Amino acid sequence: MTTATVTKFPEKSPYQPDTAEGILRAYDAFVADIDDQPQWLVDLRKSSLKEFKRRGIPTPRIEGWKFTNLLPLVKGYGDKVGQIKVSHDKVDGVIIAPLMEMLDQDWVKAALSEDMPPLQHNTENTLWHLGNIYLRDGIVIDVPANKEIKKPLELLTSAADGAFFTDRMVIRVQKNARLTIVEDHWSKGTFWKNRLTHIVLEPGAKLTHIRMQDDSDKAVYTQTTNVHVGRDAVYDAVAFCTGAALSRNQVRVTLDDTGAQCHLNGANLLRGEQLGDTTILVEHRAPHCQSNQNIRTVLDGRAHGVFQGKVHVHQPAQKTDGYQLSRALILSEGAEMDTKPELEIYADDVKCSHGATTGQLDQEPLFYMQSRGIDAKSAKALLIQAFIAEVFENIKDEGLKTSLERKVEAWLKQ
Amino acid sequence: MLQIKNLHASIDGKEILKGLTLDIPDGQVHAIMGPNGSGKSTLSYVIAGREGYEVTGGQILLDGQDIMEMAPEERAAAGLFLAFQYPVEIPGVAMTMFLKTAINSIRKQRGEGEIDALDFLKLLKKKQAELGMSDEMMKRAVNVGFSGGEKKRNEVLQMAMLEPRMAVLDETDSGLDIDALKVVADGVNRLRNEKRSFLVITHYQRLLDYIKPDVVHVMAAGKIVKTGGPELAAELEKTGYAGYAA
Repeated sequence: MTTATVTKFPEKSPYQPDTAEGILRAYDAFVADIDDQPQWLVDLRKSSLKEFKRRGIPTPRIEGWKFTNLLPLVKGYGDKVGQIKVSHDKVDGVIIAPLMEMLDQDWVKAALSEDMPPLQHNTENTLWHLGNIYLRDGIVIDVPANKEIKKPLELLTSAADGAFFTDRMVIRVQKNARLTIVEDHWSKGTFWKNRLTHIVLEPGAKLTHIRMQDDSDKAVYTQTTNVHVGRDAVYDAVAFCTGAALSRNQVRVTLDDTGAQCHLNGANLLRGEQLGDTTILVEHRAPHCQSNQNIRTVLDGRAHGVFQGKVHVHQPAQKTDGYQLSRALILSEGAEMDTKPELEIYADDVKCSHGATTGQLDQEPLFYMQSRGIDAKSAKALLIQAFIAEVFENIKDEGLKTSLERKVEAWLKQ
Repeated sequence: MLQIKNLHASIDGKEILKGLTLDIPDGQVHAIMGPNGSGKSTLSYVIAGREGYEVTGGQILLDGQDIMEMAPEERAAAGLFLAFQYPVEIPGVAMTMFLKTAINSIRKQRGEGEIDALDFLKLLKKKQAELGMSDEMMKRAVNVGFSGGEKKRNEVLQMAMLEPRMAVLDETDSGLDIDALKVVADGVNRLRNEKRSFLVITHYQRLLDYIKPDVVHVMAAGKIVKTGGPELAAELEKTGYAGYAA
């Protein structure tokens, strides 16, 4: 007879609470400066502060951050919290207002108060809490029902050198309304920008959301987007990223009602020591919804790409159509791509597919083009442009599409 | 026009071309026939400058100029064209854009300005019509969704647009039915003139019924083993390659 010896290891926490201190140095001065905030916001700030102190900055010990090491790049920040400037034209029919003036609106309060999903999902939510702690800057964009806004709303986000910034975009497109938002980011200098975006799409609404991120290659850009898509509404996103030393684009889309759709397209073109991380969670909560994730990454030099995408089909979400594809092109030996595609399905009548490929440029088409007189560099550029072009296909506005294609060309010429 | 002298080439350490010599004067059509594995496709790739082949000896001269050190695109600018046995699909690159880029790249290498957009379209329409290729095909990505015959016609279209001085056709007849073969052969024949030369590589005589060669060579085991007139092709059709080792 043998006796089994059971050794019980202490459960190791993935958190590093001591890393919270740095970024919280500015907290007391920051809150002392804010007057006249509603009690719910005071409470939200406090509970997020408590949670953040327990966790600290996320590190690769946390499952959802295992490929992206944020801490070394952000631990110097925290002495001050800078103010983000978002400039835009006036667009007729769209309500645009500073966040602090809109806190009495119930839908704004509801959006801000919603908790992000916890750790077991990809979109780890520590940065969300950090945003709550320093909640102040931001804008609210609201499109009244049945308004079709043709002119794209262009938003230029500026951050100054040397600081930590965090801000909000709270967007609502009401019933059957349509809007296109184009975010532009190209700030110079060294900074950490942590943006949180809330999007509410009411039944029949459509939002086309384009982000062009070309911040300085010394900057850190962390983005968390939380989208609710209502009945027959459509969220159409293109995230185009060529900037920042480290960028993390985390998106959670919840398809709340029948016929809701989301199309999440992304192109990451990275070189040097850049890291670009796309982390997506799509929650199918209702039947007959459709989701597409289509991410293309091009890596040169010693760049590092990360794709973590998950489709979570809840039990009521029958007839779900879920698609997910990450394709990466590695142009140099030193580059690295990490992918983690996931499906989690609790409904039995669904159509879901996912895939991830990482490879080099095919030699056959290169030689074919060269044999027609096209030099090797131009041939490579053509193949890379073709590789990326697919993620722009949904863009109806030809001018916008062309400007994105030009950005790819410009990147290739660098 | 094209002179190949004692060419030796190997791939992965295995010698495929073992001292091949060939001389094609201006305006002539030469055919190379030979059994599978004799090195015909290797020859076409080595002429076009494909990576992965090691040339261990000999010379390839185009108009007296040694092209061995030239990149494939430089050879194209010098007037060389290869019609592929298996044309390559290039998803996402539209035919029209591809052709225009190719023409302008060649013009740039020759120190010429870009082609006028209207002239380009006029030229393309004309060549398309000759080969029975629709506008819709020109909007598609290069060779994507093309049938076997359409791919071969597309090779001839590219040749017609780029107007090379020396064209190598690698098994252009493979996979073609008789109607498609005629269209392709007519396309090639229209391009024949006293300045332009062709090297037609084929396994069968069939293609040579439509593209009449001036000279026929038999290739076996990496060399030219016999040279003759058009009658040699007919003879091979009867006897087969049994007398020639691969």
